[in-house]
Amino acid sequence: MAQFRLQGGKVLAVDLAGDTVRAKNGSMVAYDGQMAFKKLTGGGEGLRGLVTRRLTGEQMEMMEVKGQGTCYFADRASDIGLVTLQGQKLHVESSNLLCADGSLRTGTTFTGLRGASQGNGLFTTTVEGTGTAALMSDGPAVVLRVTPQSPLQVDPGAYVAHTGDLRQEFQTGVNFRTFMGEGSGESFQIRFEGEGLVYVQPSERNTIGGDV
Amino acid sequence: MPFREIGSKMVEARVAPGQRMFSQRGAMIAYKGEVSFTPSIQGGQGGIGSMIGRRLAGEAAPLMVVEGDGTVLFGHGGHHVEVVELSGDTLCVEADRLLAFDGTLEQGTMFMGSQGGVMGMVRGQVTGQGLFTTTLSGHGSVAVMAHGGVIRLPITPGRPVHVDPQAYVAHHGDVRNKLSTALGWRDMVGRGSGEAFQLELSGQGEVFVQASEEKL
Repeated sequence: MAQFRLQGGKVLAVDLAGDTVRAKNGSMVAYDGQMAFKKLTGGGEGLRGLVTRRLTGEQMEMMEVKGQGTCYFADRASDIGLVTLQGQKLHVESSNLLCADGSLRTGTTFTGLRGASQGNGLFTTTVEGTGTAALMSDGPAVVLRVTPQSPLQVDPGAYVAHTGDLRQEFQTGVNFRTFMGEGSGESFQIRFEGEGLVYVQPSERNTIGGDV
Repeated sequence: MPFREIGSKMVEARVAPGQRMFSQRGAMIAYKGEVSFTPSIQGGQGGIGSMIGRRLAGEAAPLMVVEGDGTVLFGHGGHHVEVVELSGDTLCVEADRLLAFDGTLEQGTMFMGSQGGVMGMVRGQVTGQGLFTTTLSGHGSVAVMAHGGVIRLPITPGRPVHVDPQAYVAHHGDVRNKLSTALGWRDMVGRGSGEAFQLELSGQGEVFVQASEEKL
């Protein structure tokens, strides 16, 4: 199985011994040994995945990397975090997924209203199986634990990914001040309930909700 | 005159009387002591001949001469700075990535096309770096800028390193470079993996790669 290592927080090194990984298109910065790069149409999920991705707008440009040696990945100096999956399901924005082990399955799911507030559409990408996935974030991501006793509220613009058995709910704090143009900029949140982990980045994407 | 890294995005340089240092124009952040900054019209060392050479080659970065007695802080555009120590070997780097370097180093321009013939020229065009690159040789230190930090990859004989041309920063040692292509029918129909061109570096030395595909 491919070995994922971080090299200084912003570069991901993957040791390959004839196996494959899937990575964001064009994210290779260097390699030694023998490597072959092949673009995966529709994220490598077959025809059904291709159609789903087209319809949902959760586009994911991935390539398959296969070979012997070490391959280095990086993208626009984003910080990289590793997530090890042992059968769980990881939900992640397709724009935050840098690299995934070839044995992991990817797909799309419906997220509800949350997606609309993020400006990322109503769907999100799921990664499932056993192996390692590398997430990108603007600044190093923090991992927050959610337990049944302590639900978590996250700014939609700072949300990166989550794993575990979590229900998500979209909540608003819109009151009359917001309509007067005196909003605090924190009118929309995603509320996570259940048991799991949420990855949050120390930066906010531009969202529709972020301005009010 | 060594550079001292302060954080990851600044360097502190010690200037002593009688020693000169070159830096990118406008890269000074702060200084202590009596230090003067003179724009270098020639864009570095070597008199008028070298200046014309650099102008023609498109490797004429606006430089200034730093002289005096004191310490100077350099930084530019929030880019990460990597200090490279040279002891007799040659560093190849793009002129616009140079933040500061010792006056003791010898500056020159190298025609990349001479390495690898026609492919070398194609390399320059494809990577958008032009056909020339700046070389620094001798004993001293160089501060090089990169977007998002630098990793150093060793190159050993029989184990060449392939680098994305956009992520390439600099290299030193006895290294030959050539452009390797992996163009397939997929690239022709617009379904490429985005990794059609790579810089293949072989020989003995070290290559610096940045964590980003952005040019400075």
